[in-house]
Amino acid sequence: MIETIEHLGLGLSVAFTLQNVFFCFLGCLIGTLVGVLPGVGPVATISILLPVTLSLDPTGALIMLAGIYYGAQYGGSTTAILVNIPGEATAVVTAIDGHEMAKKGQAGLALGLAAIGSFIAGTFATIVIAALATPMTKLGLLFGPAEYFSLMIMGLVLAVVLAHGSLVKALAMIVAGVLLSCVGADMETGRERMTFGLPMLIDGIEFVVLAMGIFGFGEIFKNLADPEKRDVMRGKIGRLLPTFGELRQNLGAILRGTGLGSILGVLPGNGAILAPFASYALEKRISDRPQDFGKGVPQAVAGPESANNAGAQTSFIPLLTLGLPPNAVMALMVGAMMIQGIVPGPQVIENSPDLFWGLVASMWIGNLMLVVINLPLIGVWVKLLKVPYRLLFPAIVAFCCIGLFSISNDPAQVMMAGVLGLLGFALYKLQFEAAPLALGFVLGRLLEEKLRQALIISDGSMTTFLTSPLSLGLLLVGAVALIIAVLPSIRRSRDEIFVED
Amino acid sequence: MFTFTRRFVLGVTAATLTLSALPAVAQDYPSKPVTLVVSYAAGGGTDAIARVFASRLEKALGGRVIVENRPGAAANIGTEVVAKADPDGYTLLIGNQGPMVVNPHIFNLRHDPAEALDPIAMIADAQLVVVVGPRLPVKSMAEFLEKAKSQQLVYGSAGNASASHVATLLMGQTAGIDLKHVPYKGAGPAVNDLVGGHVDFMVTTVPSVIGLIQDGTLTALAVTGKERFAALPDVPTVAESGLPEYSASAWYGLLGPKGLPEDVRAKLAEGTAEALADPAFVESLQKDGGVPSNLVGQGFADFMAAERTRWGEVVKAADIKVE
Repeated sequence: MIETIEHLGLGLSVAFTLQNVFFCFLGCLIGTLVGVLPGVGPVATISILLPVTLSLDPTGALIMLAGIYYGAQYGGSTTAILVNIPGEATAVVTAIDGHEMAKKGQAGLALGLAAIGSFIAGTFATIVIAALATPMTKLGLLFGPAEYFSLMIMGLVLAVVLAHGSLVKALAMIVAGVLLSCVGADMETGRERMTFGLPMLIDGIEFVVLAMGIFGFGEIFKNLADPEKRDVMRGKIGRLLPTFGELRQNLGAILRGTGLGSILGVLPGNGAILAPFASYALEKRISDRPQDFGKGVPQAVAGPESANNAGAQTSFIPLLTLGLPPNAVMALMVGAMMIQGIVPGPQVIENSPDLFWGLVASMWIGNLMLVVINLPLIGVWVKLLKVPYRLLFPAIVAFCCIGLFSISNDPAQVMMAGVLGLLGFALYKLQFEAAPLALGFVLGRLLEEKLRQALIISDGSMTTFLTSPLSLGLLLVGAVALIIAVLPSIRRSRDEIFVED
Repeated sequence: MFTFTRRFVLGVTAATLTLSALPAVAQDYPSKPVTLVVSYAAGGGTDAIARVFASRLEKALGGRVIVENRPGAAANIGTEVVAKADPDGYTLLIGNQGPMVVNPHIFNLRHDPAEALDPIAMIADAQLVVVVGPRLPVKSMAEFLEKAKSQQLVYGSAGNASASHVATLLMGQTAGIDLKHVPYKGAGPAVNDLVGGHVDFMVTTVPSVIGLIQDGTLTALAVTGKERFAALPDVPTVAESGLPEYSASAWYGLLGPKGLPEDVRAKLAEGTAEALADPAFVESLQKDGGVPSNLVGQGFADFMAAERTRWGEVVKAADIKVE
């Protein structure tokens, strides 16, 4: 404990130099901006800025890049809430209830809760990194292919809870998402599946492309098709900041989301992306008014946003303690460290404690800065809603296209998102929800990968999922959730809850 | 006295126009930014080398060199982009082992890299390292081979047909042992499962595990090159450890579309040599596990042809092919 405080003290002394505070601010500002712009993500931004960091000192460079990463997670929710387009893939969940709140004239409240929830989550996650990095690393390592697969199965069961319409339709969407995730070259044999011979599909569909297509372009088609509906929210902006009472009502959701996000963030293979989905499912389960989820419940914004931010932060743990990047942004951070001549790995913490603890402490400062940058900006963001649609829509489409193109400098990605946009519009017309599809897509890819890895290791024996205690436990949780969902008596009340629209 | 006649002026103008329509000549090259295509996403090993190389090549050429990531389809997309580009020296490729010599045996490629590309110069040779994790507590290559004969060992790789996969295949074939392959998406998650004790061993790039080796989390049994690796002086080569004919490395080189003007090609080869003469660049290559190369033009082409034959046999013996 004393040690942790000493370490944080060292970190703060490094992070609080004028230069590093400036880099932290710069990173958070750039991150917020690219996060707000739909499609333009931290991966493209950091890879563009990578050569620039060569001329900086290592600590300052990493502090700035880290700021871009969590700043983008944060900015992504702004676009999700205001225009129902997740600026970042992880903001898909925030868009569900966040945008409904905006429509009700509570855009300020939603943005405020997201900001404050993210700050609390960021503060907590910083302490987790400082105090528990080593045990958390061990936890992440426990998840081999078998355990990971069982976690995904549990996630799929919980995914049903995401739906607020018909259960059958939600299941159909999850399955469709899983199927879409199977498009592309087989990981083991390289054989093409469901690509129709199109080169652009060989590597499968990028999640950003799916999200920008179905949610981004789909939302714009939807608004153009229903001009009356979109005008509902005109002029109603409401209070900008949550009251103390509202904060108290959401504190539980924020803390639960923070806990979930902190744990899921350390998992390899971008486990953090699950965090907001898991938080949403949890909040809906324990809420006393689950029937309102999907219609603008503050907890459904505060929880997932906190989970998202906590996960973004704890995903630094495997990078810092093992030198292993859990996602594409972290891989770029490894690149940045190497350019600076730092070998990422367990020895970073001993060889360059000032860098390690400085970076950790800067995360807390960064989170504070995000609040400072964003709270005053909420008013500005909300005014975006006043921009005439004839200007707003082309701008959104343009930014989406830039972002999509920047994924791999390939126009095919933009076209693919366009086609998915039509799919998104069709789903909307047929009253299917897109969020379970997105979750099915996210889970599906890992599900297949981990299933096959686990079965190769076990020589095809399915018992591998039952012999590992952790895997067994996760499957049992999933099974219990499933039984509760299908038990006839409970189902009756469920149907009342779900099918009323 | 010399006077400008109307005919003379027209003639000069026409000559200038004709000249400017010709492909770039070495004196003007480069007159606009050069695009260096990397067939992998930003942040990977090849990308890191390409970015440092680009900054050195810029100095040598005296013009902008821009790295463009064109990832996809097992790095075949980047190859295709450059194969289809004009051979004017303004679109170049960082080619490496996988797409240049392994993929032609596995995929039905629209452009055979040996026919569609002109090798300019090899940049570096990067050897791999054999590492074991907590699941397989052996200390030497001899113990490892002994163990592999009594039980089937499981290895992770950075993906199907990746350098780490084919290097392990070759090791299994050379030693006559049967190994079980678990493909991952990239070296990161595979190393994660090695550290977590879910797979036995890995043959992987040096930068992906050097920190974990130095820390003692993973044990390096051998390096795959012909010589020991400077940063791991106590680790023997696989060849020293009982498989004398074994060697494997992931290498990087500079290529352009077929038909580059000879002088542009020479200038680029010179630029590469100049970059490789810079101690700072060599040092950063070594950090990535690379050893600078001096192969140019035909020498590089011959090297690739030999590699292609060699890996073709490995891939064929393991029967990995995509229809």
